[in-house]
Amino acid sequence: MSVQTPSAGPITATGTEPRNYDGQAIAITVFSTIKLRGRVFLPILFRVTRTFPQLTGTLRQLSFIHFARWSVIGRLPYNGPPQKKGRFRYPHMYFESNFNGGWEEYIDAFSHILTSGMTAFWGSSYGFPKPLPTAPFKKYIQDNETEADHYYSAYPDATSSMIQRALELDERVESLKRDAQRLQPDAFAAAYRRFLTESQNAL
Amino acid sequence: MAAPAVRMDLADIQGDILRGYGNDYDCTSYAFVTIECPPEQARVWFSGLLDHVTTAEPWPAGEKPLTTLNVAVTAPGLRALGVSEDVVGSFSREFREGMASRATLLGDVGPSAPESWEPGLGTGEAHVLLTINAQQTSDHERALAKMKDAMDAAGGLRIVYQKDTELLPGSREHFGYTDGFAQPAIEGSSDDKARGGGVPLKRGGWRPLAPGEFILGYPDEDTRVDPKRRLPNAPAAPLGRSGTYMVWRKLYQDVALWRRVMRDAARVYDGDEHKLSAKVVGRWRNGAPLVQYPDAPPAQFDPKTPGGNDFRYEDDMDGMRCPLGSHIRRSNPRDALNFEGHLSFRHRMIRRGMPYGRELPEGVTADDGADRGLVFVSFQGSISRQFEGVQVQWLNAGNIFGLGHDKDFLLGDPNGTGKMTIQGKPPFFLAPQEVFVRTRGGEYLFVPGITALAALADGTAG
Amino acid sequence: MRSANITGQAYAFMAMTPVKPGEEQPLADYLRGLRGRGPSPLTRLARTHLARFVIVPDFHNNPTWKQRREEHLDLNYLIFTSNLDGDLDSYLDELCEKLAPEAGEIWGRCVGCPEHAQGAALKKYLEHNQIDTGIFFAAYGHATVAMVKHALRERERMIAFAVSSQGLEPAALQKAFLAEFGEGR
Repeated sequence: MSVQTPSAGPITATGTEPRNYDGQAIAITVFSTIKLRGRVFLPILFRVTRTFPQLTGTLRQLSFIHFARWSVIGRLPYNGPPQKKGRFRYPHMYFESNFNGGWEEYIDAFSHILTSGMTAFWGSSYGFPKPLPTAPFKKYIQDNETEADHYYSAYPDATSSMIQRALELDERVESLKRDAQRLQPDAFAAAYRRFLTESQNAL
Repeated sequence: MAAPAVRMDLADIQGDILRGYGNDYDCTSYAFVTIECPPEQARVWFSGLLDHVTTAEPWPAGEKPLTTLNVAVTAPGLRALGVSEDVVGSFSREFREGMASRATLLGDVGPSAPESWEPGLGTGEAHVLLTINAQQTSDHERALAKMKDAMDAAGGLRIVYQKDTELLPGSREHFGYTDGFAQPAIEGSSDDKARGGGVPLKRGGWRPLAPGEFILGYPDEDTRVDPKRRLPNAPAAPLGRSGTYMVWRKLYQDVALWRRVMRDAARVYDGDEHKLSAKVVGRWRNGAPLVQYPDAPPAQFDPKTPGGNDFRYEDDMDGMRCPLGSHIRRSNPRDALNFEGHLSFRHRMIRRGMPYGRELPEGVTADDGADRGLVFVSFQGSISRQFEGVQVQWLNAGNIFGLGHDKDFLLGDPNGTGKMTIQGKPPFFLAPQEVFVRTRGGEYLFVPGITALAALADGTAG
Repeated sequence: MRSANITGQAYAFMAMTPVKPGEEQPLADYLRGLRGRGPSPLTRLARTHLARFVIVPDFHNNPTWKQRREEHLDLNYLIFTSNLDGDLDSYLDELCEKLAPEAGEIWGRCVGCPEHAQGAALKKYLEHNQIDTGIFFAAYGHATVAMVKHALRERERMIAFAVSSQGLEPAALQKAFLAEFGEGR
């Protein structure tokens, strides 16, 4: 029989707080406090990832992210009193993402599919449980997450996948328009059929 | 490192969840009872039910009971039975909110909106659901009468909604498709269904799913790799263990409309109406999957033969055989979402629904005004991750399949502006996407284990 | 590092400004109320893909963590991030001009913001408080907002055409296509 131990995490639903939505776009904003070793490790990780963009290949394949960023903040610019001057005791990592789908699906995808990536980015943060099992990781993100006060998308009805495919489609549409101007009907019909066959996963 | 294999306490789990009762039970009644008396009085009646509740224990050969009884409760039902707010608060948020209040999320808008639901459903009046299965009409009527007598004797109880259902010949649903045979394979219970029903592994193998995905108190796919052996979220003891969440939805099917739209669309399709319909569903009427039989169904196909459900989409990633947006591909993507099934393996559901209403004779395309459709019933450890996740992300949206805003064509589009791309050389665009299926009502419920039922009856649930 | 703010032609801008004590709730209320008052003011900045305002009250500390000492923010901080097209300098010029009506209610509530929160003075304030990005991922960093909107519109039109023209003979098909997508359309 299984041992009854306390349950593993928060009650999660597929969604997130209402102000994190603009149409299909979802915002996630997370701060975490970084351990000493992260001070050294993270800048190296960032440089390596920037230099070798193929490392973000899986991230790209997941195709439900519009834009995402990570920043390490050691001190904030000073603006005079009552702001306190000086460096933070610990560096802090700021993470934000703009994505589609569901909050839970997003974290699940990161936990299961980008396991080593997650560990690389979050492993130097205090309190970070491993990406798997997902329940404690989801709780960690939830605890460190802040709801947006105002979130804006220039194209709220569009998903990232849709945009990527629409952009690829654009050139083919322009080419088809030129064909329509210059070809005879039968040739155009054939060109149109070819266009549909090539573009069907964008339509 | 996986947890050691779990043995399930079948005597503590209600029946028809881990293994279906089977097609011998071709009449099913769903009676939603509302409690109008004080909790102590309601609990007396509730205790009277317990001896008759069917468990998950296998029946000795030749000793199938004539009827079965199962009991589920809504969040208002828990309160009506005297459960404290603290304990009710330990149940999942969506269960407590109720299906009607999540209508926008679920796409129950327009003709499917709760404002149009049948009286008694989605109002908070439904407290206890009694599900009665019977092999024959006479036994069925006797069981229903017995249930009503017990309620009358107790007093302060009323059936606020009842739906009687009956299997259609050939285990079909009203659009004509064989249904209900594809179910998740559960470790320790239905490992025999792993080929096709489990999680697809690399190199063609399959493995069953962790029981906690469906029954609370057991490790699920997430916690099975937890070195601390924590268990998934569940309601407070003693109510959580051996229980599961239940989704109940009455779905009206506009069969005449479906037939007319498919007939008209097939006029410009390179294939007949049967093929076009199969493209929408992902299977032929006899259950043969399109991905294995892309051009025509086999003369004979029995989905229940071992391996009958064993297929995957890896050789059809462009959807040329089974369209990317077809119903079965959306509701259970298997390996179609890449990443070794990791985007889909936690969204499985056990389905035990029943068709209702008399058939519209083959070939009739004018509506006869009769009520017919499907009572959709599913069991899952998490309503939001499993049922709602599929409904919201996979059926009412197309993004994860690269289909933009396209919804499951079979269910319909309340705006009437949708379409479905049938992949091909060239592709075919199926439109208009009318409202083929309408939600007429539904509830979120909890199916307690046997010990939990006793605690509810005793008033010791907390 | 400034160059890490760029991927393709997209720029990741972030400003983190301290909120004046006592102004935390009014600022939160103001930002949260923007939605209810019509389209977002950010609509006026056409080069903005996705942007957000987030008030961070404090860092999260948890006694069970191995972190030896707690760290707290001295004040609430307002974060403004924007994923925008092209050159930051001209974007900030545009922002300081077009968001002038709102800037006073937003950055005007932050420590060190110039009294008239607009124009060159506001731009200087935002530049002063810019935080650089470590890694910036952009799924379609080569595409401007205008390109994205154009592509989305063309896709919608093409889908509608593909559905409605199904089954047409070649001559009728071409005629219908030119009617929808002909010269200048």
